[in-house]
Amino acid sequence: MSKVSKKIKVMTAQEAVEKFVFDGAVIGMGGQNVSRCAVALTHEIIRQGKKDLTLTGCNLSIHMDLLVGAGLVKKCEFGLGGLGRFGSTFQFKRAIEEKRMEAEDYDHLTMVCRFLAGEMGIPFIPVRGLLGSDILNYQAASTGKKFEIISNPWNQQEKVVLVPAMQPDVSIVHVQKADEIGNVLIQGIASHEPELIRASKTTIVSCEEIVSTNFFRSHSDSTTIPYHYVDAVVQQRYGAYPTATYGYYSFDTDHINYYQQCARAGGEEYKRYMNEYVYECETFDDFLEKCGGIKKFTHLEQEMLRLM
Amino acid sequence: MEKQYSENYNREELMVIEASRFIKSADTVILGTGLPMVAAIFAQKTHAPDVNFVVESGSIDPVLPFAPFTVADPVIGHMAVKTGSLREVLGCLVQRGLVDIGFLGGAEIDQFGNINSTYIGEPQSPKVRFPGSGGANCISSCVPKILVISTHEKRRFPARVQFITSPGYIDGPDGRKKAGLRMAKPDIIVVTDLCVMEINPDTGRLELIKVMPGTTIDKVYENTGFKPNLKEELKEVELPTERALKILRNEVDPDHVYLKGSSNRKKT
Repeated sequence: MSKVSKKIKVMTAQEAVEKFVFDGAVIGMGGQNVSRCAVALTHEIIRQGKKDLTLTGCNLSIHMDLLVGAGLVKKCEFGLGGLGRFGSTFQFKRAIEEKRMEAEDYDHLTMVCRFLAGEMGIPFIPVRGLLGSDILNYQAASTGKKFEIISNPWNQQEKVVLVPAMQPDVSIVHVQKADEIGNVLIQGIASHEPELIRASKTTIVSCEEIVSTNFFRSHSDSTTIPYHYVDAVVQQRYGAYPTATYGYYSFDTDHINYYQQCARAGGEEYKRYMNEYVYECETFDDFLEKCGGIKKFTHLEQEMLRLM
Repeated sequence: MEKQYSENYNREELMVIEASRFIKSADTVILGTGLPMVAAIFAQKTHAPDVNFVVESGSIDPVLPFAPFTVADPVIGHMAVKTGSLREVLGCLVQRGLVDIGFLGGAEIDQFGNINSTYIGEPQSPKVRFPGSGGANCISSCVPKILVISTHEKRRFPARVQFITSPGYIDGPDGRKKAGLRMAKPDIIVVTDLCVMEINPDTGRLELIKVMPGTTIDKVYENTGFKPNLKEELKEVELPTERALKILRNEVDPDHVYLKGSSNRKKT
């Protein structure tokens, strides 16, 4: 039977996470820093308590930190963990320092090349970076072997590093537009997500808007990802909040700062945040209401308009 | 017209302005979060109007009205000729060899220009975990001119970094060649609030080339975990002009995201 389906894939976040995320899964994380992190899907994974997860991506940000803070992550395989000017991802930092979580470091290009190999169905890929760095000396590897340095077979003097392909079990990505069968449009910067989505065994997409398939057929040169790689489409307005979605709303400095304050403090303060904003919210819409509802989002939409 | 120099600046502002002076018009520069972004946008608004920016998150040649909050700030794609992907920028431009200048920063920078942004202590039982490489390793491996901006503290400038996230000259003049890096002898320039240091490709070590106004060589040595050689013609960093400070404060960083309110501050 074909693995590719053109059937309607629209479902709720709860249904999508129940169906595609499992204990021990390798999860591909979309989004970068303060942009388009799949926070709605992340909250749902936390509420369902899917555990022993490996998170992979390039810039693992607040969505990763939430999953780590919830105690659901055994390992990260990534380029960077952090929130830029908002500071460290504190739960991630503490989990590594206290040896509660394993970190397998790469750099951004190496990670995206691993996804590139994964999406093309080839087993490994060469990169020019990493040589001479301690990223190679510290060899924790989910694959058993992190890298191999070889001479270019066509130019023996030249060295390259081979790294293994990465095909996450399931990726979670928030985008601007999708249709019911899983065609996807990412607007603005696309980061590592085109490669990540195509490399993943399954992908859950949450989107600001569901549009008709004719939208894609009439703008076919701007389709980011065709339906073949997408398994669930979750319509969720503000699904990246408190991070931004280009063209829709800016990131919420106040909420991210508040999260950072709680994540840095840890203990009871962090528990209170998680209870109030994740566990006690039945759906992501409840969370959005708690964070200020329409008034807040009108403001963030206006902020985005000023940037465009 | 004669330049109107100003003494009404702080050290952080002059550090950024000095770093920007290493950017020439028509250079292709990969932007990084933080003060590098401020320095690069300042260069574009002053002496290097034709500079080309690329950003790891996928933004190609944006026109940035002010310094964005991070490399993934939604404003990062403003007026770009293309908002593409990470692979297009780090792979098809940086690794491919089409980028002239990269900015790096980290927790530690050593005498060989190696940078640590990963761990303090053994990775197996770390004392402190930092964010990790991000795009930095790729940039340090492939770009011919690396600019580093850092506040100058002894703990930030050890003789050897505890973890090489982004290789400089590794352990000496031939360190990069031995490791197999194609870009064997990049320029590495470190601008701090005390001085400017540059790698001498013959020794693979940082040399002191300029000191900030009002700073002494001894003060640099006191705050450095190694003893950089002095370049023969040691210079003083040129003061900023009034116009430069105005542009920096009012246009590049109007909300003081990066540089704290500084208009009335005297140099220290």
